[in-house]
Amino acid sequence: MADLSMTYPKERSETTTSRKPGWWSSYRSRLTPYLFIAPNLLLFSIFVFFPLLYAAYISVHQWSLIDAPEFNGVQNYTRLLSDGQFWQSLTNTVVYSAATVPTSLFLGLFLAIGLNRKLAARTLLRSIYFLPVVVSSVATAVIAAWLFNDNYGIINALLKQAGVGPVAWLSSPRWALPSIILTTLWVRIGFCMVVYLAALQSISPSYYEAAVIDGATRPQQFRFVTWPLLRPTTFLLLILNVIYSFQVFDLIFVMTGGGPGFSTTMIVQYIYQAAFASSEMGYASAMGMVLFVLILLFTLIQWRINRRTEQFV
Amino acid sequence: MVTGRVNSSLAQSPVRLTMAVWGGKAEVDAYNQVIAKYQAANPNVTIRLDVIPFGQFYQQVDTRLAGRQAPDLFRVTYQQVGRYALGKAAIDLSQFIDSGYSAAFTPSVWSAVNYQGKPYALPHHTDTFALFYNADMLAQAGVTVPTSLDQAWTWDRFIQVAKVLKEKSIGSYPFAMSWQNSAVHRWMIYLYQHGGQLLNNDLTAPQINTPAGIETIAWTQSWFKEGLVPPSTSVKSAEPVQNLFANGTVAMMLNGNWQIPFVNQQMTKFKWGVTYLPRDVAMADDLGGTCVAISRDSKNPEVAADFLKFLVNEENMRDYISAAQFLPVRKSLVEGGVQYALRPDEMKVFVEQTKTIPQHLVSTVVLPTWGKFNPKLADELDLAFTSGQSPEQTAQNIEAHVKNILLSS
Amino acid sequence: MVTTTSPARQRLETGGLWLLLTAGALVMFFPIYWMFATAIRPRDEIFSGAVNLLPTGWVWSNFTAALSRMPFLDWTWNSLVIAIAAVVITVSLNLLCGYAFAKFRFAGRDILFIGVLSALMIPIQVIIVPLFLVVADLGLLNSYWGVILPRAAEAFGIFMVRQFMVSIPDELLEAARLDGASELTIFLKVVLPLSKPIIAVLIIFTFMWRWNDFVLPLVILTDQEMYTVQLGLNLLKGQYNTEWTDIMAIALLSLMPMLVIFVFFQRQLIQGIAGTGLK
Repeated sequence: MADLSMTYPKERSETTTSRKPGWWSSYRSRLTPYLFIAPNLLLFSIFVFFPLLYAAYISVHQWSLIDAPEFNGVQNYTRLLSDGQFWQSLTNTVVYSAATVPTSLFLGLFLAIGLNRKLAARTLLRSIYFLPVVVSSVATAVIAAWLFNDNYGIINALLKQAGVGPVAWLSSPRWALPSIILTTLWVRIGFCMVVYLAALQSISPSYYEAAVIDGATRPQQFRFVTWPLLRPTTFLLLILNVIYSFQVFDLIFVMTGGGPGFSTTMIVQYIYQAAFASSEMGYASAMGMVLFVLILLFTLIQWRINRRTEQFV
Repeated sequence: MVTGRVNSSLAQSPVRLTMAVWGGKAEVDAYNQVIAKYQAANPNVTIRLDVIPFGQFYQQVDTRLAGRQAPDLFRVTYQQVGRYALGKAAIDLSQFIDSGYSAAFTPSVWSAVNYQGKPYALPHHTDTFALFYNADMLAQAGVTVPTSLDQAWTWDRFIQVAKVLKEKSIGSYPFAMSWQNSAVHRWMIYLYQHGGQLLNNDLTAPQINTPAGIETIAWTQSWFKEGLVPPSTSVKSAEPVQNLFANGTVAMMLNGNWQIPFVNQQMTKFKWGVTYLPRDVAMADDLGGTCVAISRDSKNPEVAADFLKFLVNEENMRDYISAAQFLPVRKSLVEGGVQYALRPDEMKVFVEQTKTIPQHLVSTVVLPTWGKFNPKLADELDLAFTSGQSPEQTAQNIEAHVKNILLSS
Repeated sequence: MVTTTSPARQRLETGGLWLLLTAGALVMFFPIYWMFATAIRPRDEIFSGAVNLLPTGWVWSNFTAALSRMPFLDWTWNSLVIAIAAVVITVSLNLLCGYAFAKFRFAGRDILFIGVLSALMIPIQVIIVPLFLVVADLGLLNSYWGVILPRAAEAFGIFMVRQFMVSIPDELLEAARLDGASELTIFLKVVLPLSKPIIAVLIIFTFMWRWNDFVLPLVILTDQEMYTVQLGLNLLKGQYNTEWTDIMAIALLSLMPMLVIFVFFQRQLIQGIAGTGLK
């Protein structure tokens, strides 16, 4: 917490609130920020935090949704520890995140640098790369299922024509996850590109001019100017992408249903299955709590590491 | 909205009911037709049909039940009705029906909607499986199909035919089985054909880890191992098998009667027919179809029950099943026969197949806990079919899951 | 970047880069193109397994057929009402809240801010049942408000606004305060005019998120008359027999509003993000 407050311009703000004399105006100005955040906090409390507490309450019960919840202590949590499928789906989620997050960031950065140059049809190219970001997850999953379809998808039809046998994209444990990763990249790199692009445009050209005077080569300029200045952006994209990857659901629900075997069963998929296919809402909620805490921890740790190396935000 | 009791002559003040269903166009149209008819006879009642994709149906209904906002009536498979009865989410219908009412229905489906001696839904229709075949492709392979139930192919003969098709490269794959989309219970068709069962006779312990169980797993696994079925047709995929059949990717498909309208419309390049399922030591088939239940949240259960009885009366049942190509569950219609608009000869095969549904299979899949077996069975069989898990290991894992589920309930 | 290499080599490099980026763009665009090519295909060709990268027939009637089979225009209307109302509410609230976090010091601020951020980290599947119960208890099922309000406070939006407003000079606010302006006046007259880029970004993103929302509307909007475009698409996909031409036609139409918005606001989007401190 102390780390966070370092990021605020505190001295100046403090003088702001303490300048006016009189208890009423000082009271009023102290009240102002609370009034400004009140509507949001109210909505968050009703629609996010209360449901989260409710889920925590459910997580210590046995509940099929349609009968009355029955208290069962920490049983759901202890069961988690010995549930191989839970650990498998957690591992899958980590693998999926490790495959999608750095790749999206790298390709997004590459595209941003490329498309920040003066190139023919630059705006069109940018638009095309960003296009998948606006496609809804439902539509994305439908398109991907259609492209990757084993039996009449265009990808296999083209492969067959090229003499490379059809690949069981969505029905072999070997290719199902790669297919989903490719689909994810299709959506994510455009987002990373736009954010990086914006960051690049806000770097003052004078930095590069100074670097050139010092005789820096292009790779050196990237290493000593661009990359350090982009670090906060990279950090933000890292956090956002990890959060998205840990929450992936719709794509898999439509494309593979978690199969073949458990090869594409992610943690949210498994939670969904426990809640609605096996009617074990309590167990599903317990897993949800664990997932929430994991993401929160990851973010806080990243935040701390990032803070140690530099002043972020 | 009317609250409180409605007298037996039925409401004079306006009543609105909601009914949640899933279904293709033919089914939804057929539901709407019955609703229109009922509304014409009861102008004070309006019934809204909520159509939900099957993949999200039970999630939606369960969530609404948890919020005390469930639809008045909902469609439910015989495999799931026990769960709603156990949770008292569906209401006991015995208060709305006469003592002799049940006698009109076929015993197996009537037993399926009953829990501890009380009906929690009314049977609406059933469906079952048979073998669709591409007549052109089988002719090309020089194969003739059985024309009566007692001549049905044996497992060996069936595999032999499949291998002939594969050797001659007729179609991309010899056949495919429709057990995707949470319908893994259909795997048990083969288990019973081979003389096995998932649970023991009094449904208290697993009986899958037996030679019959392991051999059935091995047999169905061999379909995938030997490339007799497309790899995309394992139990957890979302591949609509009927598309593969309609476009000639597979020469045969094991599927239900409700596919007839689709195949009839889409399969323009080939002639096709339907024959009996293969058999092993026994003949067996699956109990499909749905019943309709009234939820505990209904504010007008009497009106809902009146509509429900109207929906499943002889005339409306006949209209519905002949329009949507299902099979009847009233004795009079089973015996008297139903005139089907499409492919009446093929429908006869299905009607005959319904006589081969083992009673023990019915008792197994209508257990209130069946919903818990289903995903585990799908997980383990999928591992066997797609990821090389051995039949022995698969049987052991299923046995362990079954024990856990039986213990926890 | 400023370069030190020779002009000839630079041209070669630029050319190579351009080719690479264009090839990548073709790959990225292919799925969208394929939607279109599928949507205008003759129906019986869909499963034929034939490889025709170019459209074989221009069956525009697939669009009209898909439109006549389902109330797509009603669904679009619902989606528009929800997205536009959400934009107005969410953007206003986010601006107020982000401003408070950026420019005031008050007790509990850091904890509250972390609380807001943690809202990003809760998968909706985990809280969907409790959320449904809350919305049901408020009597908002099957209403536009039932999907607008639960998402009106948007953590990512608050975060972006805060990042942007941190860089607004305090002196401007001080000067206004000395002139006796009320806090609300300062917000409206001083802060908002400086925040146009971030407002544009918020509008675009909020519209996009609400237009594409799926899980929440799925449980809240049970009446088909209240369906959004995404729910309609899902209904179409979920039927027994997947009609790919219809699905692709509807999916393509569902993209249109987002495409229009992106093409028109592309510049504002990039400038806006650059100003948020997401850099």
